[in-house]
Amino acid sequence: MAEALSERDQLTTPGTDGDTPTLRELVDKRDHLTNSTGHYYGVTELSLRDADPIKYERFYAKMHAAVLAARESARFVAASPGSREMGESLWGLATPEGDTLAVSLGFLSHTAIFPVSIRYMADNDYDINDGIDDGDVYAVSDGLTGGVPHPGDFYSFVPIVVEGEVVSWAVGINHLMENGAPVAGSWATFSVDTFMDGLVCPPMRTGRKLKQESWWKAIWERRTRAATMNILDDKMRLAGCAMIHEAVHKLIDEFGMDYYKRAIREIIEESRRMILDNMKALLIPGTYNGCAFRLVKYEGLQNVWSHANKNTLIHVRASLEPNENGLLLDTEGSSKWGYHSYNATPGGADCAVFLGMINSFSHNTKVTAGIELAVQRNYVKGSIYNPDNEYTSNANLWAQTVALNSIGFNAISRATFSRGYLEEAYTIDGNWGAFQGAGTAADGSNYGFTNFEWLGGTGRGAWCYRDGEPLVWAAWSQIATIGDAEEFESTVPPLFYLGRKLLKGFFGYGKYRGGPGNSAVHWCVDPGKHVALTRPNGGLSCTPSVGLGMSGAYPGPGSFMISARGTNLEELIADGETPRDATELLEMVDEGKLKVNNLEVWKTDCPELALENNDLFVDAAGSSGGWGDPLDRDPDLVIKDLNDGMTPHYDFVREMNGVIATQDSNGVWQVDLAGTTEKRAALRQARLDGSETAESWWHSERQRITEKTFTPEVREMYAQSLSFEKFNLEFGGFWQVEPGYTLEELAS
Amino acid sequence: MSIEASVGKDLIEQLIDGTIDAENATRLLKMDRKDKDRFINYIAVLQERVSWEDQILMRLGDKVYIVINADKQRVAKCECGHEFCDYRKNWKLACKIRTRRTLEEMQQVYDPTPAVPEPGWQEIREFFCPNCASQLAVEVVAPGYPIVFEMLPDLDKFYREYLGRPLEDESSEWYQDQTHSVTQQWAAKAS
Repeated sequence: MAEALSERDQLTTPGTDGDTPTLRELVDKRDHLTNSTGHYYGVTELSLRDADPIKYERFYAKMHAAVLAARESARFVAASPGSREMGESLWGLATPEGDTLAVSLGFLSHTAIFPVSIRYMADNDYDINDGIDDGDVYAVSDGLTGGVPHPGDFYSFVPIVVEGEVVSWAVGINHLMENGAPVAGSWATFSVDTFMDGLVCPPMRTGRKLKQESWWKAIWERRTRAATMNILDDKMRLAGCAMIHEAVHKLIDEFGMDYYKRAIREIIEESRRMILDNMKALLIPGTYNGCAFRLVKYEGLQNVWSHANKNTLIHVRASLEPNENGLLLDTEGSSKWGYHSYNATPGGADCAVFLGMINSFSHNTKVTAGIELAVQRNYVKGSIYNPDNEYTSNANLWAQTVALNSIGFNAISRATFSRGYLEEAYTIDGNWGAFQGAGTAADGSNYGFTNFEWLGGTGRGAWCYRDGEPLVWAAWSQIATIGDAEEFESTVPPLFYLGRKLLKGFFGYGKYRGGPGNSAVHWCVDPGKHVALTRPNGGLSCTPSVGLGMSGAYPGPGSFMISARGTNLEELIADGETPRDATELLEMVDEGKLKVNNLEVWKTDCPELALENNDLFVDAAGSSGGWGDPLDRDPDLVIKDLNDGMTPHYDFVREMNGVIATQDSNGVWQVDLAGTTEKRAALRQARLDGSETAESWWHSERQRITEKTFTPEVREMYAQSLSFEKFNLEFGGFWQVEPGYTLEELAS
Repeated sequence: MSIEASVGKDLIEQLIDGTIDAENATRLLKMDRKDKDRFINYIAVLQERVSWEDQILMRLGDKVYIVINADKQRVAKCECGHEFCDYRKNWKLACKIRTRRTLEEMQQVYDPTPAVPEPGWQEIREFFCPNCASQLAVEVVAPGYPIVFEMLPDLDKFYREYLGRPLEDESSEWYQDQTHSVTQQWAAKAS
């Protein structure tokens, strides 16, 4: 093997025979050296680091500073609110093969697509016909060829070329305000195939010499509904890449090409080793299982595309197993792909899976492609994570892959809890929301939009030793912020905030409760000719974001929305009282104060909602789960929540937490400790009286399995998952059904 | 906090009790490298707290442990002393189960009403210790979903390779999911 390695090494090392290696040769060499040695690029010794660690770290610091500076400067040069205000952007530097070397702040795991895009370019000889030159600009937004998680995330790649050889790539990414799909916005919720996903670009050159070509502007103007914002973002990505491009050329001038080429391999191998070390330090070997569900509500809404006119309950199933080379995340048993917008691709799924992995294991080392080497993924062909159909839509991949990340992330929490690192153990939910749409103003001008607010910051799940916090967490970014309301009002002309606040009681209950989710009331004022919106949603309240609570607590509830169309809002404004969140709105309707001609509560995806003057759109998202038995909650915390307005009402928490309380003359709640002790004993007895043994439960449930009396959506889910051997064996073994037990998939 | 830092038992107790202050919690979260002896100290603290003598091998949840019992078997056990089963079988199958299937039943544990899971597509399963009635696990899953075995640790590998303290009763038989043997017995009894 060593001889063969050496021979191949010579074949593709520039300068040995006077030829410049092709991109395909570079990728092949990386694959071969890594796979055959188990070390990134065959690097077994960190010779540069060991010989002169100060020089090595100085080299990396300059590289890292370049990507950090790119973000901190470029987003103030030109950017949409989502990129400037929030964490919805990122800059990175990669090896010639696309392996990440350094990343800025922002949505960090999106580096996972880099090697997918570069591999596609290599496999298709982009560097041969018609060449890759220094400072070229490539656009990428395709899931299959580029690995992009969804086309609303747009990437700019700039090659750094020295003497004809690609030596690195600068990459800039951000989430667009609108990407030109039939469903306006940036997650085309009702797409049934890739042709409805909007502006989908396989890797394609759009500029040269750090400048976009003229035709590219026309694409944004003609193929998206937010051209101004998107062109600003395009300039922003390229400006950052140009900064990185310049910095890397200077770095090579300063350190020399030989040093550069060796150092970039050592950096990734060094971080891979550190990640393995972290995994062994934090985890417990074994098998961790988790599940989640996400409904696709298409029946009755897809009459034009009849093959997609059915509901699907997506099953997200994963196990995590630490091993000698890191850990394995196995998704076998998850649903098949379908004619809906929620399919993933391996690259896109990686973007989700690495959220928890980078957060957990790259915290004290360089954030590089080392994580991709340490986390093995199994995305079974034909499944929702690896469709055997090249035309699947992945417009709203995040709506279910974030749950996949949560399963892996929660497994890590379980391990750190058992290991005794309790400070690291908390509940992961990843419930997010946003809204999107398009309109035409009174003067005929068109616009498209996305409001990212409940994607920017969510509640953090309960820790195993304290309550979760509101708004401070976003699995996909270190920069949790919901952005300025005024910024979003400026991008959606007829929509104004009547309220934006935490929603009381909107979390999973437990000994420690999750951080509460958020709710906003959007008021439509003089919409001109037209305005309408949809909502993408990372999980909907018909199912929670994850299927398993932690240590006896309830998982966080999913997101929901309410449309109130045809209202007497002007009367309410005159009276000085308008709703500020979902609960207030429903209470005002119940009390008869708010009169609504068409009130709709959406626990599933809403079709396009057109709004008129004084119509209201209300959402709720970002909830998180609890930790521990709710009857073990400190009564003082229950009282504090009651007095802070954090929990819904006394009757609810009395039964949930078993706390007896009274209100004094000032309306302040006081605990009755003796009553609480008695109540808790009664509730515990009620648990025993109202439950059955697992054996009894199993017999009655098994009846349903043999009779196959499920709702159509559940039947469809099992039919798909049972087609994969691993889940089939688990299901069959658990229910003791005959081999070959199956259910039929639904026809459209 | 230096690489060699050790975390005292007092802080571990505060983490277990939920009394740790924010400053100390943040300090622990920001440790560059975790204290290597944490697991041993953690188990020692837990062992002092429980009312029984069985040796704790691992804590799976707030009140669920894997222990070596008087018969030298590795079993899952509740904090109250109730023994569930061989730890290779999903201990949730030794619990009592309450299932919430209707909107009204689910509304008792989720709020506000639009946030309640949808009956038919989901059901809520609560798992109780048959002795102390503690709620030890919750599943919100599709009807008919197999009860999930949340975590099966490879104890031998952990103690030998991660801690360098191999267990006396090491065996290749220990890291096996034997949950289906339980349902197999249930099916046999019924037939």
